[in-house]
Amino acid sequence: MKRKILVNVVGVLLAFLLGAVVMLVQGYNPLETYYRLFEYSLAPGKIAYTLSKSVPLVLTGMSASVAFASGPINLGQPGQLLMGALLATIGGLYIDLPPLLMIPFLLMLAMLGGALWSGVAALLKYWFNMSEFITTLMLNMIADFFTYWAINYPFFEANANHPQTPFIARSGWMPEWGNFNSSVIVMVLAFAVIWFIVNRSTAGYEWRLSGQNSLFSRLGGVNISKNYLVVMLLTGALAGLAGGLVVMAGPHRFIKDIGGNYAWDGVMIAMVANSGIILTLVFGFFFSVLQTGSLGMELITAVPKELIQVLQAVIVLIVVAGRGYFETFFAKLEARRKMRERIA
Amino acid sequence: MADIIEMDRIVKIFPPSLVALDAVSVKFSKGEIHAIVGENGAGKSTLMKILYGMQPADSGEMLYNGKKVKFSDPGEAILAGIGMVHQEIMLIPQYTVWENVVLGYEPVKFGGRLDAKKARELVKQKIDEFGFNLNPDAKVEDISVAARQKVEILKLLFRNVSVLIMDEPTSVLTPQEIPQLFGELKRLRDNGHTILFISHHLEEVLELSDRITVLRKGKKVGTIKAVEATKAGLAQMMVGREVIFDSIRKNQTAGEVLFETSGLNYTDPDKRPRLIDVNIQVRAGEIVGVAGVEGNGQLELVNLIMGLIEPTSGSIKAVGEDITRKPILEKRKRVAFVPQDRANMGASIAANIAENVIMTHHRLDQRFTRWAGRILDFKQAASFTDEVRRKFDIQMSSGEAVFKSLSGGNQQKVILGRELLLEAPFILLDQPTRGLDVGSIEYVHQRIIDMRAQKRGILMISADLEELFRLTDRIVVMHKGRVVADLVTEKTNVTEVGYLMLEGAAYEA
Repeated sequence: MKRKILVNVVGVLLAFLLGAVVMLVQGYNPLETYYRLFEYSLAPGKIAYTLSKSVPLVLTGMSASVAFASGPINLGQPGQLLMGALLATIGGLYIDLPPLLMIPFLLMLAMLGGALWSGVAALLKYWFNMSEFITTLMLNMIADFFTYWAINYPFFEANANHPQTPFIARSGWMPEWGNFNSSVIVMVLAFAVIWFIVNRSTAGYEWRLSGQNSLFSRLGGVNISKNYLVVMLLTGALAGLAGGLVVMAGPHRFIKDIGGNYAWDGVMIAMVANSGIILTLVFGFFFSVLQTGSLGMELITAVPKELIQVLQAVIVLIVVAGRGYFETFFAKLEARRKMRERIA
Repeated sequence: MADIIEMDRIVKIFPPSLVALDAVSVKFSKGEIHAIVGENGAGKSTLMKILYGMQPADSGEMLYNGKKVKFSDPGEAILAGIGMVHQEIMLIPQYTVWENVVLGYEPVKFGGRLDAKKARELVKQKIDEFGFNLNPDAKVEDISVAARQKVEILKLLFRNVSVLIMDEPTSVLTPQEIPQLFGELKRLRDNGHTILFISHHLEEVLELSDRITVLRKGKKVGTIKAVEATKAGLAQMMVGREVIFDSIRKNQTAGEVLFETSGLNYTDPDKRPRLIDVNIQVRAGEIVGVAGVEGNGQLELVNLIMGLIEPTSGSIKAVGEDITRKPILEKRKRVAFVPQDRANMGASIAANIAENVIMTHHRLDQRFTRWAGRILDFKQAASFTDEVRRKFDIQMSSGEAVFKSLSGGNQQKVILGRELLLEAPFILLDQPTRGLDVGSIEYVHQRIIDMRAQKRGILMISADLEELFRLTDRIVVMHKGRVVADLVTEKTNVTEVGYLMLEGAAYEA
């Protein structure tokens, strides 16, 4: 456990060191840059904003983590997020309920949208034995163009000069207190539920074991195809929830490119986190720190915020590669100790 | 005889803390066949790999022809005259025999081009010189496994190797091919070659070798002359205590039929019949063995019983109920299953021990779950893991430890414990002792006998005839997908069963 933390911390520090080298080569001051980066994202007034920005990263990250750990290679988070966002938006355009009902209702719609989209991939697997690895990627494209069409035609805001829908009903906006958006509460709840399912429930146990060795689990009496379907639907719902919250917490309407790069960042987060639920939360927040901070960094120093994308990628590479390397490193240390003991 | 190789106090530690070789010193004489025997994990292969330069030793010295040597890779060892034939054969199937032999050591013409004629001629000479029955122009993919092994040996002889290391050479051969290999190895020895031979088949070792070195848990137990050794004595050296090879069954009358296949047929997706009209019965308190050369339908039989594939026709009954097409969980209420492939079918090696132990139990036994089966009871899982550890004498640090940290024998005990505690009346064992060391095998056998005493019905598939004769009440022999014989163990013998395995036809003496 301690070792696991160490691997991650060292990986991140190494990535920062590499980032510093890149900045030095380009003639920037790395210390100043990093200071601004963290000042902008972690200062007392800013941290609430950073937390709010971490919501779609953590949710799509958990979607990918749960899927990868259980077997299905669901890479459809971008499409599922968009479909969730679209369904929540449509609900918010046509229905108006008191906030206490409206918000859960729209969140359910968002999850439904995501689950429907991952469900398509699951059905394609069930009927035609098509790999979700391919179909979810393809469905991303379809969701991308479908939602673009939807906001250009049926749900287009009259007279807007940009592809977007009108605002959703006010009752569906996530309440905000200063910089703190209540979508963070939803994220924390979702985290708690997912952690419980994965670590405490019978289903979570079966998913984990099937993800590690599907044949063994099948022989042990686990219903593999049912679990596959449930995992696909659940992870789709998580990505959809992220989409719904992006709309309800942010622009309160579906605008072009609303999905941004959240979902792919989420997949990256799942990879650095080695599909662990707690680490996904930690890295989701950390990536949000970097992304939020990059705005401040660009504002104050001359370093372009694209550098942060480089940093993210380097973190992923170093932590993922380091995981294997550190294991052998520690094993060798242990062997040397043993050797010395024998001589003594 | 002069010592050609002397290994002096070799130590090898595999990170983090596995002492594979603990100051092992051995001397190999020129022109002898020297067997290295020991249980799995005793350090046989590691010692040879160090000699061959595949792995560095952590300390210790090696003398070769009286000079201190250290090979940093196999290439150096071959140049010096030491070659190794591995268990897996590493040849290029599309190349001919002579092409494979000269590969990497080709005679060249002017300009660095391969002199094919000369190369083929040289290989032909070597084949004749050593009396190998090989066609230099045959493609490797067309020749038998035994012939491929000869090509491997030839490859080394072509490089003028004088010390030949053979790692379990008989494991890929059929029983009829073994004498031929032994004849060739003896001829090589008489030509002055030194042969180091890794094995854990004691009969082979006694038959082939001149001297035998026994390793146990990384330490050398001793080196003895083969003429002075006995099988029981060697086994005792290997295991550290006495091992019994005789039958351990007690007389007991079998009860009602617990398991039955009737007219079982299976045709694979390529339309090849794999099982033809298989009828097997197992009664309560009876152990039925399935003998057969691997690939004669045993795998399909297991997969059908467990529900990984569906039969073309026929039925499988367990404890009075037709389970042919029942969901696997439904079958598991009646069938306990120990597979031959621990890492793929028997466990999730990445999960911890407790997670492996509660598989299947978590669905069949309500004490492992709460909230109508939705929530796992981890306390219950931990105490059950402890129960399995105690009952099956498993060496482990804790149930939280990852499964792959266990040794092979302990892994098998975990799987066995899980399956036998399922309390399913019928037990299917697929090579339950494959890859285990002698001590663990003995333990597993005892547990199987206990199950018989508890009046369970056991079907055991095994490639090890000795094991079948030691445990079973009846033996059915499979050949090309058919059951060709159903014999009472006490009224048959190894020769008869061996003949049926190979020929399929009824044995006529």
